[in-house]
Amino acid sequence: MSSGYKPDILWSPHHADRYVICDTELSLYRIGPAGNSETKAGALPLSEETTATLLAINSDAPYMKCVAWYPKHEPECLLAVGQANGRVVLTSLGQSHNSKCKELVGKEFVPKHARQCNTLAWNPVDSNWLAAGLDKHRADFSVLIWDISSKFSSEAVPAEKVRLSGDVDSGLVVTKSLYELGQNDACLSLCWLPRDHQKLLLAGMHRNLAIFDLRNTSQKTFVNTKAIQGVTVDPHFQDRVASFFEGQVAIWDLRKFEKPVFTLTEQPKPLTKVAWCPTRMGLLATLTRDSNIIRLYDMQHTPMPFGDEVEPTIIERSVQPCSESIISSFAWHPSAQNRMVVVSPNRVMNDFTVFERISLAWSSTTALMWACGRHLYECAEDAGQGVAAAEKDIATKMRERAQLHYGHDTVQVWRNHVLAGGDDPHLRSLWYTLHYILHCSQYTENVEQKQQSNKQSLIYSGIKNIVKSSSGTTETRRCWSGSDRQTDVPRYHSEERSLALQLCGWIGRGPDIDVEPFLKSLEQEGEWERAAAVALFNLDIRRAIQILNKGASAEKGDLNLNVVAMALSGYTDEKNSLWREMCSSLRLQLKKPYLCIMFAFLTSEPGAYDAVLYESRVAVRDRVAFACMFLNDAQLPRYIDKLTNEMKEAGNLEGILLTGLTKDGVDLMESYVDRTGDVQTASFCMLKGSPGEVLKDPRVQCWIENYRNLLDAWRFWHKRAEFDIHRSKLDPSSKPLPQVFVSCNFCGKSISYSCSAMPHQGRGFSQYGVSGSPTKSKVTSCPGCRKPLPRCALCLMNMGTPVSSCPGTGKADEKADLTRDKKLAQFNNWFTWCHNCRHGGHAGHMLSWFRDHSECPVSACTCKCMQLDTTGNLVPSDSV
Amino acid sequence: MDLHILDHKLRVTSITKTGLQQYTHPLIKLIFLRNRTRCKFFSLTETPENYTVVLDEEGFKELQPSEHLQVEGSTWLPLNVVSNGNASSSSQAVGVTKIAKSVIAPLAEQHVSVFMLSTYQTDFILVREKDLSVVVETLLEEFNIFREEGGESVPVHSQDACNGLQRNGREGPHATVHPVLIPENQFCVMSLDPDTLPAIATTLIDVLFYSNSPKEGASVDQDMECIKFFSFSLIDGYISLVMDTEAQRQFPADLLFTSSSGELWRMVRIGGQPLGFDECGIVAQISQPLADSDISAYYISTFSFDHALVKYDLIGRFSQHSVYFHDVM
Repeated sequence: MSSGYKPDILWSPHHADRYVICDTELSLYRIGPAGNSETKAGALPLSEETTATLLAINSDAPYMKCVAWYPKHEPECLLAVGQANGRVVLTSLGQSHNSKCKELVGKEFVPKHARQCNTLAWNPVDSNWLAAGLDKHRADFSVLIWDISSKFSSEAVPAEKVRLSGDVDSGLVVTKSLYELGQNDACLSLCWLPRDHQKLLLAGMHRNLAIFDLRNTSQKTFVNTKAIQGVTVDPHFQDRVASFFEGQVAIWDLRKFEKPVFTLTEQPKPLTKVAWCPTRMGLLATLTRDSNIIRLYDMQHTPMPFGDEVEPTIIERSVQPCSESIISSFAWHPSAQNRMVVVSPNRVMNDFTVFERISLAWSSTTALMWACGRHLYECAEDAGQGVAAAEKDIATKMRERAQLHYGHDTVQVWRNHVLAGGDDPHLRSLWYTLHYILHCSQYTENVEQKQQSNKQSLIYSGIKNIVKSSSGTTETRRCWSGSDRQTDVPRYHSEERSLALQLCGWIGRGPDIDVEPFLKSLEQEGEWERAAAVALFNLDIRRAIQILNKGASAEKGDLNLNVVAMALSGYTDEKNSLWREMCSSLRLQLKKPYLCIMFAFLTSEPGAYDAVLYESRVAVRDRVAFACMFLNDAQLPRYIDKLTNEMKEAGNLEGILLTGLTKDGVDLMESYVDRTGDVQTASFCMLKGSPGEVLKDPRVQCWIENYRNLLDAWRFWHKRAEFDIHRSKLDPSSKPLPQVFVSCNFCGKSISYSCSAMPHQGRGFSQYGVSGSPTKSKVTSCPGCRKPLPRCALCLMNMGTPVSSCPGTGKADEKADLTRDKKLAQFNNWFTWCHNCRHGGHAGHMLSWFRDHSECPVSACTCKCMQLDTTGNLVPSDSV
Repeated sequence: MDLHILDHKLRVTSITKTGLQQYTHPLIKLIFLRNRTRCKFFSLTETPENYTVVLDEEGFKELQPSEHLQVEGSTWLPLNVVSNGNASSSSQAVGVTKIAKSVIAPLAEQHVSVFMLSTYQTDFILVREKDLSVVVETLLEEFNIFREEGGESVPVHSQDACNGLQRNGREGPHATVHPVLIPENQFCVMSLDPDTLPAIATTLIDVLFYSNSPKEGASVDQDMECIKFFSFSLIDGYISLVMDTEAQRQFPADLLFTSSSGELWRMVRIGGQPLGFDECGIVAQISQPLADSDISAYYISTFSFDHALVKYDLIGRFSQHSVYFHDVM
């Protein structure tokens, strides 16, 4: 008979490390850590960490159909076994015989008519009560509630009748039950309701779920349903019950018992076990026949009860505790979180913990939060000093830069790279490029207004386009300065080439092409090698040597520079000299790129400067300047094109020098943003584009909008406002039109028609200026009909009257500089009113009122104006 | 009270004693190999005359037609009465007695022929499918009627049935007085855990199919002191057995379920000639007086005769009543 019988598992209600496997017999196991019990014989591995040891076997009760563990501490390990003939036997496992339950063990409860016992349940409070659900009999009840402490039946069962119902130790047999319920119906499953221990929920054969109250057994609540094979109450939500039938699980709310609240997706195979997780809210595990997976339904976020119109949110997933093997049964651990033991038909057991779903949330800053089980983890960027700036997340960098007003320096544009932290060479190059572009364009604007438009746009279009338009190039062969030796190095000149050199920063604006100021500034910054290289390329070998000497003698100078100067001084243009030979081979060992290209230049054939032009460690601007000087009209555009494409592909901001603020520049910036995510730099850079062509590019608009959203998300509302102001200065088309007007109560005309550029604020409260110059204005009446404007609810003056004194601004900490005061004073005069009760007044008055109150200042009005304003309660994180 | 019209379409057949060997294979399959057939309703009753097999259409497919197989032409539907609600029923009487007044008598009045099948678990009242509308109309006053379809209980209302009462159109009840026979042997009604069925398989086969062999000498038909009667049914997974104490001794005692009081029953066989299927009112005639005096009974119809089982110690009272019943008729 055991062939069809699959083992089931039962956890001890009180010993977290014990469970019983029941199939044809009861086996008590103790679960323990794998480490120390490894040596013990007979320890069965359950998982990598745990093993089980068999403590006791009980085979006293044959034809076992169901088992229930006594719920109280004492006597421990008392089990009720329901048998195929309907008898319920009390038995025990692993107990010494002097234990408390001795007199109970062996006691039998016999129904009048023998039939299978389907289910057993101990009453959780009156633990003497044991409910047994039986199959149907035409004349008997299917639910019998036994009192295990009841006296043995006094009337001895006649011997010849006993014979029919099997052997009986007559002394231990109880035949009189406490309650009988459910006539001529079968009871397939039952459970006591934890909310009211006198109530019993039954699942019966005639497609009924019924609730009986033992205080009045003739009354019952019942509902007709197919889902009656098993019922189980959610331990965390005592009105929630799951019942199942075949492959379907129905979830009930006992308060709305007419129909299931919802049913779970039907499984193709019949269910064998359905169990709520005792350690986790709203988690239901189900098992189907011959399956190796356990399906989990998470109803944590399913509102109970919910209306019919709401779709329940149930997260369904499945776990596979033991890879291939079929699961016969499982049991949740009563206390260890999400843990269960599963058993396969051949009694292989597996200890298994269901891993909790991880939910993850990004904060608007770089922090990351995730929750797993009952743990909450936060992952924040290490803000310590030790973190190199380059390793910081771009969001952190952008936040820091926003706080430092990065991008807002419109006078000394190059300084923005300092605001950005000054440690990113690409940003530095970008801002210098923009600086030179704006510089040149301002100069041309001032000086050469006649051809302004043409040249102006050329400056913004980048060196790539400048050199293309180059014409009338002249070629010169100059002497090495300081010597009369003729060089054979041709150098090219044209107006466009000079412009390009200006953009590279090598020479100043105007007709002056002296490189000396640039060398001076490089010397000041201690860029000795670069200065020497620039001097050399300007064919001033003596100046180069002088710079190197200076560098060597400077504080923290590199003495090796002297050696380099020495080597340089030995320059000879003799083709086959030893110097040339040695320099061209040894220069590769020089670590400093600028020193390297100096010798490369000196040892190259004229016109073949690849060693200089493709030395990627050298700044793009220097290479471009070099190319503008030494490459002919054929070579130069080719080189620039090649370099431009390289820069575009790499998203290297140095390339903006070549592309300018053109469509090419946007392409380059696109790959930069793709690489770094730095929409901040992209937004500020593109706003500098003069003709505004690039601003129309949807990508640019996207970066700008994203940057604004980012500032909003960080609650940098003041920064965002500053950005908007900055933006509207550079791009007038972005200025929003006034969208809301204050109209006169009498004539309905706008009273603010004269102030079209009034700023507009967000939700809840809207504030409007009355006039462009409120301090002078005496506009207290509608300009259309001359009727007076409404009065301020606080000062009772007509609107339009300037605010005389504002108590709020009297605070010491708010006495900032004068300009701010003035701005505030303007704002104080604005109209403000609540959208709900329509009361309002001067913005300044309202602000100070709602600093201390949440209710409307109008005496009879109970409107909680301030609480209606959701954003009003948020504090900006960039308080100005 | 609820009346359920169960989702089984049944055929009533009979296999002759001599033709049994042709049918042992399907019968064994239907009895022992539950998983191999889709038959949900199976009942086999051995009487001295023949074997009566009541089964659903799935099971009926297994039986090959032959001269030894007699099939009643119509499809029968089982009805089942559920005492809904009142958990504590005062009446001690069980079985047919309980439903005599509410079901059987009204049906008899409407000339609906019924075929009774009592089991350990419940009582089934089989009616012809074509009589269903009349049955519904007749019983709707007394019962909430549900029709079970694909696992769902669908309430049946009067408009679902035919318009008005469609009488069977038969004549009034026959005033036929059927002779009754009360054999000496005692019977018990028992059940069995389907999981343990394999354990008693050999005994069961022996009792079912080889019962005649040892007593070949005695003529069964003549010897009415003890008559052979054995019934096995497997309905919706529930097993019910009716056998006399002699057969019962052959089974291991601990496997068969019965009442703890171990009650025994005497049988009343109704009919001297085979009763046929068209006569109505027989069950009513028997059960009415039993109900009047609150005597519980089982009632098993077979192809030829009807059998009522009455408590061993109450058979005397039944005899009195049947005398009374003879007088009235």
